[in-house]
Amino acid sequence: MPTALVTGANRGIGLEFVRQYTAEGWTVHAGVRDPDAGSALDGLDLKGGSVHRLDVENRDHIAALAGRLDSRPIDLLINNAGMWLGDDERYGRFSDEQWMQEFRVHVFATMAICEALVDNVAASQRKLIVNISSAFGSLGLDRGIGDYPYDTSKAALNMITKGLAHDLGERGITVICFSPGHVATDMSGPAAPLSPEQSISGMRRVIGRLDGRQSGTFIHYNGEPVPW
Amino acid sequence: MTSCVLVTGANRGIGLRLAGQYAADGWRVHACCRDPGNRADLRQAVAGHDAVVHALDVGDRRSIDALKAELGDEPIDVLINNAGVGGGDRQTFGDIDYEAWEETIRINTFGPYRVSEALADNVAGSEKRTIANISSRMGSIAECDEGGESIYRSSKTALNMVSLDLAYDLKARGVTVLALHPGWVRTDMGGAEAPITPEDAAAALRRTIAAATFADSGSFLDYDGTRLPW
Repeated sequence: MPTALVTGANRGIGLEFVRQYTAEGWTVHAGVRDPDAGSALDGLDLKGGSVHRLDVENRDHIAALAGRLDSRPIDLLINNAGMWLGDDERYGRFSDEQWMQEFRVHVFATMAICEALVDNVAASQRKLIVNISSAFGSLGLDRGIGDYPYDTSKAALNMITKGLAHDLGERGITVICFSPGHVATDMSGPAAPLSPEQSISGMRRVIGRLDGRQSGTFIHYNGEPVPW
Repeated sequence: MTSCVLVTGANRGIGLRLAGQYAADGWRVHACCRDPGNRADLRQAVAGHDAVVHALDVGDRRSIDALKAELGDEPIDVLINNAGVGGGDRQTFGDIDYEAWEETIRINTFGPYRVSEALADNVAGSEKRTIANISSRMGSIAECDEGGESIYRSSKTALNMVSLDLAYDLKARGVTVLALHPGWVRTDMGGAEAPITPEDAAAALRRTIAAATFADSGSFLDYDGTRLPW
């Protein structure tokens, strides 16, 4: 069975990816900031995978993870760890430090994890990298109001996804970014219309059908294209 | 009534020509650059005109606050966020300089936002109410058909998003916000083989800014006014 690695795996979208892929029999490595804190992950059989300490802002954690995985193939790398500041995202409300932290988590960490694990992905059967972006990162959709740190860092994530698709294409790696839909999680609140089950089942269907021709594209959880 | 423009990164390249051309055209000019003390080119470009040279590091909020204090409530018709950096030599997958990436985001992305936020009242209180962010086609995700230059590209994509978000949030105050591609220009950043002179690029940008209307707010335009894909 294939192997997946999911960052930000202790809750929300990341946790649901772990649930669904392990239920299908995949080996799953789960990156979480604090493995000792306890989460729904604890009850899951990772089928030979492990829970790893991974604060994605911490380059030592990324290097240690790469060291532990050694040459084990990773079929599917899901860069999911993310953050959102709520009302602090709005015009005039956020500090440069808050803004830069979102770039570190959404953009720099994604690049650094890809740099660290590219050989593991290239050595696998499926060779897939999936970056969890957001419709908020779409310049083409009319959002009507600015959530500056989130919008800008997700747009930048989409740009590096396109670049990664070019850079890693020669190694046979497919790279896409997803808009997971408005999912009810701790981050977006319980009122969101989509359950994690629905969003992740949709993304898994898309991932199951991915081929190189879709590399460098931005896809909604239901398979529809999202404008840049 | 005399129009007023503020240009950041006015000591060289496109910014220098924008300041010089607006000044020669009779505009009042606020020309900003990091180290105004020994900027002979800039002083010469605006000499004899209604121009003020300011110290401004767009990556430093105290510097932006000091500029705001110098300007007070003076109306700024056109704010041109032009100051930018190229991101350095290590932008290739496998050899990314993350410190340079942070610094580039701070200057190219945060800088235009912070200057716009600080001067929003000056712009909203003017006749033309325009903010022009000098972006780049390199920031167009749709047009990106090669790898590399991740730092510069992502900073300009994020700047495009800043422009769009500012267009939403300043709409009620009648402010037009544009993201502009200046062309591939023969500057320190663009290199010697670039086909467009900074003079021509500045002239084209000035025409495009003058022709833009409130209906264009939130769009990404080539120097000749053509719409560019995100």
